Amino acid sequence: MIIVDDVYKRYQTDHGPGRWVLQGVTFTIPPKLSVGLIGANGAGKSTLLRIIGGVDQPNKGRVERQCRVSWPMGFGGGLQGALTGRQNAKFVCRIHGHEDDIPERLAYIESFAEIGEAFDEPVKTYSSGMRSRLQFALSLAFDFDVYISDEVTATGDAAFKNKAFAAFKKLADHASIIMVSHGESTLRQFCSAGIWIHDGKAHWFDQIDDALKAYKSSLPA
Amino acid sequence: MGRESLNGAIPGRSPARIVASVYLALFLREALTRISASRAAWFWLLAEPVFNVGYMLFLYTVVRVHTVGGVDTVIWLMVGMLAFFMFRRTAGQVSASISSNLALFTYRQVKPIDTLLVRGGLEALLMVLVSGVLLAGAALFGHSVVPADPLAVLEAFLGLWLVGMGFGLVASVATELVPELGRIINFVMMPLYIVSGVVLPISAVPQPYRGWLMFNPVAQGLEAARSGFSSNYHPVSELDIAYLYEFALVSIFLGLALHRRFALRLVTQ
Repeated sequence: MIIVDDVYKRYQTDHGPGRWVLQGVTFTIPPKLSVGLIGANGAGKSTLLRIIGGVDQPNKGRVERQCRVSWPMGFGGGLQGALTGRQNAKFVCRIHGHEDDIPERLAYIESFAEIGEAFDEPVKTYSSGMRSRLQFALSLAFDFDVYISDEVTATGDAAFKNKAFAAFKKLADHASIIMVSHGESTLRQFCSAGIWIHDGKAHWFDQIDDALKAYKSSLPA
Repeated sequence: MGRESLNGAIPGRSPARIVASVYLALFLREALTRISASRAAWFWLLAEPVFNVGYMLFLYTVVRVHTVGGVDTVIWLMVGMLAFFMFRRTAGQVSASISSNLALFTYRQVKPIDTLLVRGGLEALLMVLVSGVLLAGAALFGHSVVPADPLAVLEAFLGLWLVGMGFGLVASVATELVPELGRIINFVMMPLYIVSGVVLPISAVPQPYRGWLMFNPVAQGLEAARSGFSSNYHPVSELDIAYLYEFALVSIFLGLALHRRFALRLVTQ
């Protein structure tokens, strides 16, 4: 269960505090429920995701994570460009306390990511699709209750999306995903509930279709 | 957030175990980056001190100075240079640690302070190796490189490393909170090479200016290292190793306190 309680967030800019991105966001995500975050560009989806993942801190309010939450996957975060995919993977294994079974986890990550010999090339030479393959494989190598994904499937090709979805179905009895995506079919495939973020507030919908409908009706025709 | 689990994969890892595994992972990663990330990175580690000693030595031999304060010029320069780099490299690496490790804070286990401490430790290890190589090189050319009082030399180097850590801890928070301070720190550091007595002996400076120069902990550390190296060396009378350690203690405490106070600000954007 993840409790987000009255979260406010604004960023510090060079000219003082910026506008409020989130203003009093409150919701509770029950266990094993996959949720999609929907909203216009700049509505605060990624911000909220980073706060849920504990990477950024709210200015006001609090987030309680009563389960094991992954780090937010997406946009190259957490990968060091000068090191190879394998070296990055080793680092992540170590900080998660898996010093002992690094070889098995590396084997899993390498086979799931399917990036071939690039696994031993520096990450800065990767395409965005290869990066997201690696990031997705990295997080699936560990047992989390909730996986956080920020458009990480967007740059993957169809084969990878299907593979990720299949891997997820297998986890579905004990894990869930919170994801940001602009792809409707991706959201329908992975998520059952939806959160629509609009004007700094979060609106909860039990059905992802209703959330998509609300989002679309807010768009100028 | 008391009940949240920070450890991700293994439930119930104790905080100490998490920190230990993060330090190990960071250390291996930093070491790998420093030694293998760029072409011949290990060569550049050595090149800077070798080059500095080399050209100063050239200048000194042109003006035919064979001893400084009763010590072989080569040893005087080399020990001073290594001691100075012990401070400056530690200070530089540690204070740049947050900005160069931003990608890692994606993982909740990794805190800014972890990257600073690990970098500082790695830099100490590298400087010990670099010092060993340089002194071995000098020994091949027939200079006497065995310190008269090895413990005093270690004491001076350790003190300089601690001051470097303190400086880096304070500077890292300061530049994160007020980026303009980074520029100021840069141009304040510039003349440090001269006023610390790396190439010009501080004992040649008349009073009262010499007393002022010796308020600089780096100058203290350099004199202490040289006087530990050779029993013939005449250090300046203001030499006080306790001052070096007091300075280190105060700056490290201040740095850690700043990191504690601004722990959230450092990861908040």
